[in-house]
Amino acid sequence: MIESSPLRLEYAEPIDGLRVVRQSPPAGAASFSATYVGPAGWGFDPAAERGVARMVNHLITTAAGRLDRVALARRLDRAGATLSRDTSPEAAEVTLWGPADAWRSLLPVLADVVLRPRFDPEDIARLRRQLFERQLREETQPASRAERELRRAVFPPGHPYRETGLGDRRTVERVDRAALRRFHRAHYVRTGASIVLTTRAPLRSVVEAVREEFEELPRTVPERLELPTLSDRRATTVRIDLAGRSQVEVRVGGPSIPQSSPDYPAAFLANEALGGRPLLGRLFQRVREQNGLAYHASSHLDTMRLGGSWTAAAGTGPERWKKVVPMLEEEVDRLRRRGVPQGELDSVRTSAIGEMALALESTSDAHELAVEAAYHELPRDYWATWPERLRAVTPADVRRAARRAFDPNRSATVVVGPLRAPRDV
Amino acid sequence: MPRSPTARPKLDRFTLPNGLRVVLAPDAASPTASVWVWYRVGSKNEHPGITGASHWVEHMLFQGSPRYGKGEIDRAVVGVGGVLNAFTDTDFTAYFSTVPREHLSVPLDIESDRMTRALITDPEVARERTVIHSEREGNENWPEFRVEEELYQLAFRVHPYRWEVLGRRTDIERMSGAELRDYYHQYYGTGNAVLVVAGGFDRAATARDVRRRFSRLPKSGGDVRVSDVEPPARGERRAELSGPGTTPYVELGWRSPALRDPETPATMVLDTILGGESRLFSAGGGWGRASEHPASRLYRALVDPGLAVRAGSEWRPREYPSLFTIQAQAARGVSADRLEEAIDGVVDRICRTGPTHAELEDVRAKARRGATLAYEGASRIGFRLGYFATVADLEFEDELLAKILAVRRDDVRDRARDLFQTAARTVVHYTPTEGVPRDD
Repeated sequence: MIESSPLRLEYAEPIDGLRVVRQSPPAGAASFSATYVGPAGWGFDPAAERGVARMVNHLITTAAGRLDRVALARRLDRAGATLSRDTSPEAAEVTLWGPADAWRSLLPVLADVVLRPRFDPEDIARLRRQLFERQLREETQPASRAERELRRAVFPPGHPYRETGLGDRRTVERVDRAALRRFHRAHYVRTGASIVLTTRAPLRSVVEAVREEFEELPRTVPERLELPTLSDRRATTVRIDLAGRSQVEVRVGGPSIPQSSPDYPAAFLANEALGGRPLLGRLFQRVREQNGLAYHASSHLDTMRLGGSWTAAAGTGPERWKKVVPMLEEEVDRLRRRGVPQGELDSVRTSAIGEMALALESTSDAHELAVEAAYHELPRDYWATWPERLRAVTPADVRRAARRAFDPNRSATVVVGPLRAPRDV
Repeated sequence: MPRSPTARPKLDRFTLPNGLRVVLAPDAASPTASVWVWYRVGSKNEHPGITGASHWVEHMLFQGSPRYGKGEIDRAVVGVGGVLNAFTDTDFTAYFSTVPREHLSVPLDIESDRMTRALITDPEVARERTVIHSEREGNENWPEFRVEEELYQLAFRVHPYRWEVLGRRTDIERMSGAELRDYYHQYYGTGNAVLVVAGGFDRAATARDVRRRFSRLPKSGGDVRVSDVEPPARGERRAELSGPGTTPYVELGWRSPALRDPETPATMVLDTILGGESRLFSAGGGWGRASEHPASRLYRALVDPGLAVRAGSEWRPREYPSLFTIQAQAARGVSADRLEEAIDGVVDRICRTGPTHAELEDVRAKARRGATLAYEGASRIGFRLGYFATVADLEFEDELLAKILAVRRDDVRDRARDLFQTAARTVVHYTPTEGVPRDD
């Protein structure tokens, strides 16, 4: 049994390209987590089969190996375990969580899921039906519609970040079992992928177990995802009137930097000051606390391997959105032009460093850090030294990073919901 | 004291002379400390005209007290790397802050200041009014919210569970600062609260600190029993709603027992068999529930054959009798009537034959798992201890788990027969009015 800080990861020698990462769980943790993360995001969707990456990610956690969907669900329930999944434009991941002492007996379940999905016809048919409803929801719900329209306004056709991964009715109908298997074979592979385990078992045992269970993982090299160069373009505004709803959703956003950018720590703090730090952020303070205009107002910086995006968001009533939109735009502009003064920077920095303790509350919380480090191939002490990197950031760094990370070129403002106030109707 | 069958940590409990109940759950290895204050006040304590007062007061407790001006509570906690929030339910309102362990004194100071001395000024009430409106508007964007609000409004005619915790729009528009202050002074205080501190701290030092900060507060606040008793329903109640949305949505509700009623364990087992999960003993031990349960009866009867894209059941643990609900979202081309018919079939089967032996074993495994994995991390510990201490008592979790594990197949069948009486049910259908392409 090994007890060390969850912030210091252990990396094994890759097994034919497959990275293996071990993390100690927080002291006293009762659970373990294991994740496969690899280059299987929806940016790889063939144009005619948009939606296939999310379908594969969903279906592999539905039925695998000898277990159909009911048998797999019951196997997990009986063991006190859960399977969760996630996809982004670049990556897909599957996470198994369960009682700490069951990590070795449950690891074959994760291996089955990653290596031996069944893609049973009835599961495919059911998922299609569910996706059709999700697509409609994305169309009719102001929040999800605003997120989708922002991507479309910011990223040009063919760009991996332009889509939400749901595809449309035609493309999802076209995704058959053969297409699912094809995508799975090409993208659930060793190269560019990691197995991450948060467990008390030593690295040696983890490597042995991974070697044994994931031996069949293909050695093929997946295609590389590439981002087209974004040409400069003036900011745009998109307004979509969805009558009959109560709340208007506002999004302002644009392209941003990748996680590997040297500007990342400063950009991270810039976003924290803007609205990433709950309750402290400028957007929350101005829109909600000073003016009482909205329930939620925040910002988000999504940095991936190849690039990124930023979003400032708020939800407000039909008679208030015209006041909220300029506030969001002004705050982003102020951040770009003036950065963050020393006192405010110290405040968000102290907060961000202090929050590291909260990331170690549970196995699941700590595990998220390990998965992020594995996917981005960060140094093993990345999280242990993260506070040092934040402490080194100066106001000048933040100003420079804000200009790059919150790039006004190609930015867009999207407003979706009941745009006409009751008195306008 | 016998060892708890759940993973509940070792506790230190005491009550201050002013009535404040204190629960300490120290864990020397924890890097964080989590402070929770639970008040036994929620929408059950409101009446028409001030619906939503509990939730609004919750917002106002972040807007200033003698030692913390507006915004200073947020800055004090988030500034040291902590997180804080609050939530209001029908039966309780809870405030929490989790901070790096060396900053435990910050939330303790805040809670002792706002427990009895929140300012709730008129200008802040006026500003917060639009925030509350906005929160409600955000929820109204979801058909599920509209349906559930209608369901409870229809199912209850007397009991305060008939209105949404967020309150009615007209009351949010009208309520005054004076009414909120009166409400706060009536229900908030040492006599109606439980303070839970969990995580990395020294037991004796924190007990002293808690006594020093909270003992000087006056005895105030009280949990007023709700005297309105909902009469039995004499017939089925129905509503048809329409509005923006994707596909038809259906929710049915049946009168169900209160948390401490003897029928509760079998009701929770029934909920797990039909919907796949039960609150209190769900994965991760929080308040939420996982979204998909392919082995559950409703999923297999509605989602598998293509009638629905989602289906589930829910029994919420409440202080007074409330509702057991079943809800389903139709697949494209399926009508609300067809969904309801399929739900009736599921209900009919469980009433006739009860659960299988394997289903019961699955439920037991889930309950054991929920009880053992729920206590990981100071925040989850604070939540769980505070919840049980507020709605029942700390031993109740053990009792409930033992009773769930002892439920037999016949108990579930009998419970289902008793619960699912058509005459006492409420049904709401939601039909989308726009933009839903027909099946081609």
